[in-house]
Amino acid sequence: MNIKTAYMGEVEINEESILNFDHGIPGFEEEKQFVLLPIEENSIFQILQSVQTEDLAFIITSPFGVISNYNFDLDEATVHSLEIKDEKEVAVFAIVSLKETLEKSSVNLKAPIVLNSTLKKAKQVILDNENYAIRHQISFESVKG
Amino acid sequence: MLVLSRKIGETIWIGEDVEIIISEVKGEQVKIGIRAPRRIEVVRGELRKDISVCNTEAVIKNLDLLKNKL
Repeated sequence: MNIKTAYMGEVEINEESILNFDHGIPGFEEEKQFVLLPIEENSIFQILQSVQTEDLAFIITSPFGVISNYNFDLDEATVHSLEIKDEKEVAVFAIVSLKETLEKSSVNLKAPIVLNSTLKKAKQVILDNENYAIRHQISFESVKG
Repeated sequence: MLVLSRKIGETIWIGEDVEIIISEVKGEQVKIGIRAPRRIEVVRGELRKDISVCNTEAVIKNLDLLKNKL
């Protein structure tokens, strides 16, 4: 199927690649389907594009590239709602808030997006962890990839 | 919205498996106990609000910054 995107015009996507957010994400509860689109080859960033809303897209990156020892325990609510059977099928992303400069930009380590890559079910998980910030400053090293 | 008056020690059940207990009331602060299965997420409203605001700010307005740098 073809979808209209915020930055890449109309693109053809495989329906099997659609990520299903059964409850949307906070602030966008009605947005239940997204797809991941590459920005450029080898970029550490990807675009998380809404399937239904052309103008709605986020930049995401791996939180493990921002903080190398990033880790959290998957809570039972997440395991249950995403029907996770095996840790190996889990992928984790963090939403980047891009500002005028990279120095002012931040990444949300407190509320990562957790994906069951087998079933393509995802949700934004709010961690009960004081060490991770909603607006973590991106260090320049991490941006170079 | 359903609004119920409760006294300290009184409870409210939501569905078959969530119990809310009013455990303490001190001035403007209320302590609430929640007994729920672990598969049910419990999050403070202001934290969810913060995430919601942060998500709204994060909607891409301009990709040039990334394209220039990478």
